Amino acid sequence: MVTDTAKLEAFRKEVRAWLRANLPKGWGTPEYKAPDPFSKEAHELGKWWQKKLYEAGYTGFGYPPEYGGIVRPPEEIAIIREELARHGTPPGPQSLGLLVAAPALLAHGQEWQKKRFIPKILSGEESWAEYFSEPNAGSDIANIQTTAVKDGDEWVINGQKIWTSMWEFADFGLIACKSDPNAPRHRNLTCFIVDCHSPGLTKLPLRQMTGNAEFGEEYFDNVRVPDKNRVGEVNQGWAVVLTALMSERSGGGAFWGGGAAAIAGAFTRLAAVRAVVDLAKETRRFGKVVWDDPVFRQKIAQMAIEAEAMRCSGQRMVARMRKGWRPTNEASIVKNFQAEMRVRNGDIIMEIIGAYSQLNRDSKRALNNGDWVYQMLRARGATIEMGTSEVNRNIIAERILGLPR
Amino acid sequence: MEWALTEEQEMLKTMARDFMEKECTRSHVRAMMEDEVGYSPELWKKMAELGWLGLIFPEQFGGQAMTFRDLTILCEEMGRSLLPSPFISTVILCGLPILFAGSEQQKKEYLSKIAEGKATFALAVLEEDGDFWPGGIKMRAEQRGNEYILNGTKMFVWDAKAADYFLLAARTRSSRDPEDGITLFIVDAKEWGVYVSPLNNIDMLRKQSDVVFTNVPVPAENIVGEVHKGWEPLKRMSLYATAALCAEMVGCGEKVLDMTVTYAKERVAYGVVIGSFQAIKHKCADMLSGLEYARSLMEWACLALSEDSPEAPLAVSMAKAYCGDVCKKVCDEGVQIHGGIGFSWEHDMHLYFKRVRTNDTAFGSSTFHRELVAQMLE
Repeated sequence: MVTDTAKLEAFRKEVRAWLRANLPKGWGTPEYKAPDPFSKEAHELGKWWQKKLYEAGYTGFGYPPEYGGIVRPPEEIAIIREELARHGTPPGPQSLGLLVAAPALLAHGQEWQKKRFIPKILSGEESWAEYFSEPNAGSDIANIQTTAVKDGDEWVINGQKIWTSMWEFADFGLIACKSDPNAPRHRNLTCFIVDCHSPGLTKLPLRQMTGNAEFGEEYFDNVRVPDKNRVGEVNQGWAVVLTALMSERSGGGAFWGGGAAAIAGAFTRLAAVRAVVDLAKETRRFGKVVWDDPVFRQKIAQMAIEAEAMRCSGQRMVARMRKGWRPTNEASIVKNFQAEMRVRNGDIIMEIIGAYSQLNRDSKRALNNGDWVYQMLRARGATIEMGTSEVNRNIIAERILGLPR
Repeated sequence: MEWALTEEQEMLKTMARDFMEKECTRSHVRAMMEDEVGYSPELWKKMAELGWLGLIFPEQFGGQAMTFRDLTILCEEMGRSLLPSPFISTVILCGLPILFAGSEQQKKEYLSKIAEGKATFALAVLEEDGDFWPGGIKMRAEQRGNEYILNGTKMFVWDAKAADYFLLAARTRSSRDPEDGITLFIVDAKEWGVYVSPLNNIDMLRKQSDVVFTNVPVPAENIVGEVHKGWEPLKRMSLYATAALCAEMVGCGEKVLDMTVTYAKERVAYGVVIGSFQAIKHKCADMLSGLEYARSLMEWACLALSEDSPEAPLAVSMAKAYCGDVCKKVCDEGVQIHGGIGFSWEHDMHLYFKRVRTNDTAFGSSTFHRELVAQMLE
């Protein structure tokens, strides 16, 4: 284990030099023109970046080398995560591959599935979708109605999925289906790997209150999946779903992700707070400088405090995981805190920018490319996706505190 | 920064919790509430024997030379058990300024006495406005030969009845700069002209008093640090004290949550345990989540101080702002979920509620510290 401070500092310099040499041209400067979110171009940029990171050995931690995992001392991993967060690197392409599919496959997949799929998730070559949610199974995800019926060596899938991130560009999906109509809840689901280009699978965009179609919906009409693509045992799919959801809620959950994702997210938030301080100094409301107003100062300071709280909680989590502790339902605490913070922060910024809080991204008068308004709108999804805040409070109360169901 | 407890810290925590459970029983707490002095000298002696009173003092002054984070582990446990003792007053509020600014002779004498359990201290700084800031210090100390004569009243003095000595701040010269002209004195509590008058504050386990000084002579050798420059060590101490009070508040909050969840699993209303109601569950979930982040900021503040990090003032103010808000809310909900019994004198809930209020006010409330954070963001 590397413990020598000088060695670690040298490693940090190496990571920084690599980032300077490899980030897209003009990155972090006004000259850099980011592709439209959710566009093909944005997706390709993310894939390209993930591949670069993987080849440099800066991602893929927490997985055994036989599945393409990269092994490094924890101190180095911490430095890599910190530096990536500080530089605000391009977003990953297939967040649901890393967040959901790889952890679920590692825990429940067959050997050939782990060997075939995990390396290409880590390297960014293949993108994944999560086919869990349905019109009548959102937070109550156990209420899935899409059916899978065994037919020889294959399963035939019929039904509708909704709220699918990466719906347009995913190569593979992890799908949860009802495989036994008579079995009780939690013992009637089976999970499969489905090829997103299968015949009978129709994909449509789903527009949200932001105006974007970040999500999609899918119709499965006699889509055939070989039995070898089954993840976990027949009717034991609930365990797979739980692994995936917990990982998603904590931002990478059990595999070093949890705390590290919170730390990375906190760095981004702290940078955002600094931007808000600048905004408050430059902005007048009713003729008075916003930053001189004690009420605004309180609110902006609270934003900074909550961002640091998120970072510190992540640090605590990483430190405890190094000693063998593994978070499970704590993911719900992390998820709710971050989602509700996004709502609060968005609203504070709206108050600062006043009338400009009404302008969409494409308005000629929009401030900050309309991103603040977009984030404020998008935050409303954050308290719903991955289990509503209310469902996560139930999980915290019942599964951590042990209150009765 | 090492965020996980070391093996030694885990041992310290376990030892502290076992000690409090055995020694600081509920009947002891109740007895101390009614006691005029408010602590048990026998228990104090045991704490000295465990090395807690000199935990962070250097070895040459009878200390253990452990870290500030180690000390705050004790504070968490003291919050949890509501241990009635002048520990924070003696070790942190008064011990640290003596450590920071005292002469070798003073450190040798007073820090060793503290570590051995032979001297208790109380900090006499606040006056009429009740705020910890240099502008609040109006009381004068007049030089007369090789002595200074104290006249005036110090207010909101914690553990005054328990104190063998006061560490007192008084004005020794007028100056445009409020931080200038403040001098720190060690005053023997048995001196003629020192009169302690209890304030009957809501937290009966951290008793506060007026201390009236009438023509009290103090020898110049009892000045801590330089004449007129007493604010600096107090200000430095206040960071440590603030972090320690956060640790205590988090200890209180975590205990309140434990008690509340236990109660919600047992108390039956409308034929079911109240913990099965979603309204109760969601309150409990928010208490736990709030405490996770309060603890995280508190640990950051304590670690930053332990490592003498330049980020310590920011970490401390962030922790104080957040821990104060969260722990007050946790106690509010603790009382609410307990219902009638939570509002009763007989139940311990109000003791935690009041301790958290005391700590939230001390060294500036959440709102005050959020403003400090805003200044540091500039």
